[in-house]
Amino acid sequence: MGHGKSPYLRYPEKEPFPILNKNSHYDHLFEEMYELEEKGEILVFRITEENKPVEVFTRTGRIKLIPTNKLWHHKSCGQCGNIPGYPASIFWLMNKFGYDYLNEPHQTSCTAWNYHGSGTSNPVALAAVWLRNMHQAWKTGYYPLIHCGTSFGSYKETREQLIFNKELREAVKPILKKLGRLTEDGRIVIPQEIVHYSEWVHAVRFKIKELYEKEGKPKGIDVSNVRVAIHNACHTYKMIADDYPYDPEVYNGQRPAASTAVIKALGAQVVDYSTWYDCCGFGFRHILTEREFTRSFAIQRKLKVIAEEIRADVLITHDTGCTTTFEKNQWIGKAHGMYHPIAVMSDVMFAALACGAHPFKVVQLYWNCSNYEPLLEKMGITNWRELKKEWEDTVKYISELEKQGKYDELMEFFKEYDLYEPYSRTSDGFKRRKSATADMPLFKS
Amino acid sequence: MDGHPYGYNIPISEKTKEVPWEEKVRIFEEIKSDFRFKEYLFGCLNCGVCTASCPSNRFFDYSPREIVQRFLEEDVEVIYDMLHEYIWACSQCFTCWIRCPFVNNPGGLVIIMREVAVRNAFEATKDLLKPYGRVLLKVMTTGNQLSADMLQPDFFPDWGPKMQDNMENLRAKRMAIPFDVGKSVKTAWEVSLETAIEMYTIWRETGIFEMLEKLDPNLYNVIMDIVEENEERWEELMEEEE
Repeated sequence: MGHGKSPYLRYPEKEPFPILNKNSHYDHLFEEMYELEEKGEILVFRITEENKPVEVFTRTGRIKLIPTNKLWHHKSCGQCGNIPGYPASIFWLMNKFGYDYLNEPHQTSCTAWNYHGSGTSNPVALAAVWLRNMHQAWKTGYYPLIHCGTSFGSYKETREQLIFNKELREAVKPILKKLGRLTEDGRIVIPQEIVHYSEWVHAVRFKIKELYEKEGKPKGIDVSNVRVAIHNACHTYKMIADDYPYDPEVYNGQRPAASTAVIKALGAQVVDYSTWYDCCGFGFRHILTEREFTRSFAIQRKLKVIAEEIRADVLITHDTGCTTTFEKNQWIGKAHGMYHPIAVMSDVMFAALACGAHPFKVVQLYWNCSNYEPLLEKMGITNWRELKKEWEDTVKYISELEKQGKYDELMEFFKEYDLYEPYSRTSDGFKRRKSATADMPLFKS
Repeated sequence: MDGHPYGYNIPISEKTKEVPWEEKVRIFEEIKSDFRFKEYLFGCLNCGVCTASCPSNRFFDYSPREIVQRFLEEDVEVIYDMLHEYIWACSQCFTCWIRCPFVNNPGGLVIIMREVAVRNAFEATKDLLKPYGRVLLKVMTTGNQLSADMLQPDFFPDWGPKMQDNMENLRAKRMAIPFDVGKSVKTAWEVSLETAIEMYTIWRETGIFEMLEKLDPNLYNVIMDIVEENEERWEELMEEEE
């Protein structure tokens, strides 16, 4: 396969797997991006050696660079709000590997969940939100790592629209100028690659395997008998399909590689099922306002099929909405004799568990409504009851100290947390009084 | 037969019939004039692979093939009628897009149609989006779409008894997380005020607040109160720093 003139568009000499979609329109974007940079219209936020990049292949065989170090965490509102063990597992692994990163509050959500659910936005607003967040990352020098699948899909699509449409660039530029979010010489900052956390997990899967061997196994953890069903998220691989990793080791490059590859690297058993291609039923608006659809689809097209065809121990996901949909919509199946209990968690949560992370303090399984206990037993985490008690005692202790206003003791207690950073390092010494939510009323509790 | 002779099997609604033809043409042209339209629609073999793999098609009277066909036939009446409710069945999974041999993007056409329905404040859209107000309030004022305090067991009884346990002692549970994620109960993370102020500028400059005012004036008023308060607070902080 040939090489384009753009340094951002590279292919291997030999096809890594059979490729159906050659000469992809999407790949042409990387040539256009280079031309726009040459003309001085945009600045490409480049991945450098400092980011310790790993090469993967996309569906078209393009070489995509996945930065593994010095990362700016673009968090997911659904993960932080509803599945806190999801980002916590990412941070836990990054700390274990000694990677440098920045976790700061100068970011908004991508706002794309709202857009797909309600239509109350438009391409210019989506582009402005994306580019503002990317400019913030660029300003700090840390490369953006996107936690959410929908943010990842939406940003990929927005970048394509922006590169190929002058009218969109012209519409968004004055807004960015007003925000002070252009470069000093007036250029739009666009990242070289848009990178999802699951791609990072994929890129570091053999390091994860090493950690599992070194720290997980000595604790008695063994995943070799665990049967794993994989659910790939629609917005990672169906939305802008030509920009997600494929690998000869995963179905000979004919299915998305992320998640499956890390589970294989850990030595667990990936088992195939007939509806692997179906979505989860999340539907954006549907999970809130068309709930019968969401749970019917999740149960009938996925959970039931997985239970009947392969009897998996765990369903592995790599996005926010899918994880929520599958773990929250099991219990209701009892009402119709369709209860198919299965543990549900993301690839990175499973990886952290395998490497010995605390199931409740780090992986935060207490939020999880699925039946995860049999999985912990099967993985060899047989002391999960004690670990849960330990977590619950911690919560009680913190609650009591707070009630009594013993803040010094609280801070002292937090010091005992190995990896705890009560106020993460930020680009400008963020002070909490400047929070947008300080005076926001709480929803009823 | 009230429906379309080639398959759109929902009778054209009375509210669509009552709308003057010129208005329906205007809406049709508004959709077609979106810069994405030409990138989402190329041709159609009527192979139906989009509909066969569509999750919404399994449970709703909804077909992505219909969307594509009606646009290719320039069926102004049916397209207008679809804007009331039909398009809101789409799950936005884009399975139709990846599977289409023509690389049509029916899910993309739907999002353009949704935008037009919202912008023109279709009555059905207003009703459909009412339960969505909490998300809109969060995202417009804080930049976060979801937070721990939104997952109230009362709203999600079908998620089972564990949800009740989750919400007890919520703040302490969040504080006990040994990383700076999800520590705020009211938002997914503490969004800095400066960032929120920038986002309000984006909403203003791109007509999002205006769109919202037409869609739900009461919600708009609540949002603007919070936005203005935050903007005042930011100005005060700036003055203090000077």
